[in-house]
Amino acid sequence: MKLTVNGIEREVESAPLTPLLFVLRDELEVESPKAGCQQGGCGACTVLVDGEPRRSCLTPVAAVDGAQITTVEGLGSPENLAPLQQAFTHHYAAQCGFCTAGMIMAAQAYLDNWGAEDREMIQTALAGHVCRCTGYVKIVDAIAAVARGDSFDITITAESHDTTNVGGTQ
Amino acid sequence: MKAVGARLPRYDGIGHVTGRTVYVDDVRIPGSLWVKALRSPSHNAKIVKLDTGPAEAMKGVHAVVTHKDVPLNVYGHLSALGIPGDEPLLAEGDVRYQGQPIAVVAAESEELASAAVEAIVLELDEQPALFDVRKAFDADAPQIHQWGNWYPHFEAEMDRRQIRKGDIDAAFDQADVIVQGVYRPAAIEHVPLETQVCQVVPEPSGRLTIYSCTQALYFSMGVVSAHLQQPLNRFKFVGGTVGGGFGGKVDTATETMCSLLALKSGKPVRWRWTREEEFLCSSTRAPWHMEIADALTKDGWILGRKMLTLHDSGAYARFSPYGLTKHSFHHTGAYTIPNLHFDGYVVFTNRVPTTAMRGFGVTSVSFATETHMSRVAHVLGIDPFELRLKNANRIGDTSPNGVTYTDPSTVPTIQAIAESLGHELPGEYRAMTPGKREGDLLPEHLVGQLGNPEAH
Repeated sequence: MKLTVNGIEREVESAPLTPLLFVLRDELEVESPKAGCQQGGCGACTVLVDGEPRRSCLTPVAAVDGAQITTVEGLGSPENLAPLQQAFTHHYAAQCGFCTAGMIMAAQAYLDNWGAEDREMIQTALAGHVCRCTGYVKIVDAIAAVARGDSFDITITAESHDTTNVGGTQ
Repeated sequence: MKAVGARLPRYDGIGHVTGRTVYVDDVRIPGSLWVKALRSPSHNAKIVKLDTGPAEAMKGVHAVVTHKDVPLNVYGHLSALGIPGDEPLLAEGDVRYQGQPIAVVAAESEELASAAVEAIVLELDEQPALFDVRKAFDADAPQIHQWGNWYPHFEAEMDRRQIRKGDIDAAFDQADVIVQGVYRPAAIEHVPLETQVCQVVPEPSGRLTIYSCTQALYFSMGVVSAHLQQPLNRFKFVGGTVGGGFGGKVDTATETMCSLLALKSGKPVRWRWTREEEFLCSSTRAPWHMEIADALTKDGWILGRKMLTLHDSGAYARFSPYGLTKHSFHHTGAYTIPNLHFDGYVVFTNRVPTTAMRGFGVTSVSFATETHMSRVAHVLGIDPFELRLKNANRIGDTSPNGVTYTDPSTVPTIQAIAESLGHELPGEYRAMTPGKREGDLLPEHLVGQLGNPEAH
């Protein structure tokens, strides 16, 4: 089997019924999708399959043979953050971070397919994505900000990150 | 003070949004064995037979650990404070809650580890279970704990957390009205998105490297060190990245058992709890039973409060005595009541042991006291904001445990809430400050407690 993961074609040797989640994590070492519940209930494993959000824990890899898979690693890097990644940082939409990759992928699919700054529509797009830290408001704020076309200063964010990640000497 | 009031980025924010943050389950250790636990199917039972032989005989099973393998099996989460332990790491003789670990196995795959757990022979003799803290004190209640049905080791071996302040009988004699209420918030599961995960690597030096999602790294080191009866320098803990905890990752749930399996098998092990285990077997916020009776004047002064709290500790004590102590210190809420009679019990039931969650012991009592304040206001026909402002903590007032307040924030907080809700306060309440009591705000019953913590 073959998958194109974040633009790179990868051979897959896992058994055909292996959940896509564990093919990504254990075989291909793409770690951002998380095993939060392994029963499709929490959304932490969400990736894009040919542009559509999927629960990778419930997706047998054989069912997506040949597909384009996008994870949060494929959206942007620390040096070159995608708008959603900037917005999640700016709006403090990631706290413990465990749900964040799945949230961002669901949000990316929403923006690609709909894109409206409509909080109800955003909430519907995030249905089934569980976050226990933020209370969701900041997450919806971040997605709405991107939908609105807000700009975020990446340089300041990245520089601040470098200077504050040294043991709290700020 | 650069950080106060400033809008600073999270130090770990970029890692979170790019998928670079490394959680315990993301650490790749080649050749790791999978860990699974045999857990009690019963709420309360004697263990008649436990035979791990069939599991140990399976190809690909590298270690099975029971209570016999633990150098110090019974150790309490408060033992470092000199309080005796009550909870076995792995059940020995009996099981007291559904989901209690009895044995753990390490095998070459997750499926094989589950099959090995299935192969262990377990026979139980079912015993009557206790779930209702209110029935724990009945003469015919099942006796479910070696210390009795409630915790007996508060200071001076008292069986309750007790506060006595002022003259409670005089307060109730003088009362125009007595208002009572019972408040019973339920257990809450923390539901971190990251379940309990642990990986342990036996190093060539003989030390163990322990990848832990604990919220309390140094505490967990102490617990592992105690159970294994080995010095702290045998353990290298790697932690600090927690995929949600909320208090539920304070108890040391996995590290000790994984360490024992790594030592016995000589191989690295990993344990990732399923969502079912997280819901059914992990600790929860405690259910609480709280009864309040307030002695009141018609114009809204609280002369005295009697309170009884039953804290459902679950099957073992863990941190519950500490939680109840915090609870007792806050049982007047943000208000000053000079005459107090508080009794709180840590009660054992056949539930999962309960633990900290976001304001350990205090959220429960705040729910009770604030609901009760609103009830009092309703019964007396007084504006609930005015009732709260009148009795609010002021500079010089003393807390239930005798601390003199130097900077209480009740008054500005209640004023701000009223303002944000568009609730019109009379001028005297709008002008109120947290300053020392005087004039109308220093009635006879509060004179004695002012700035005089030794008075009670």
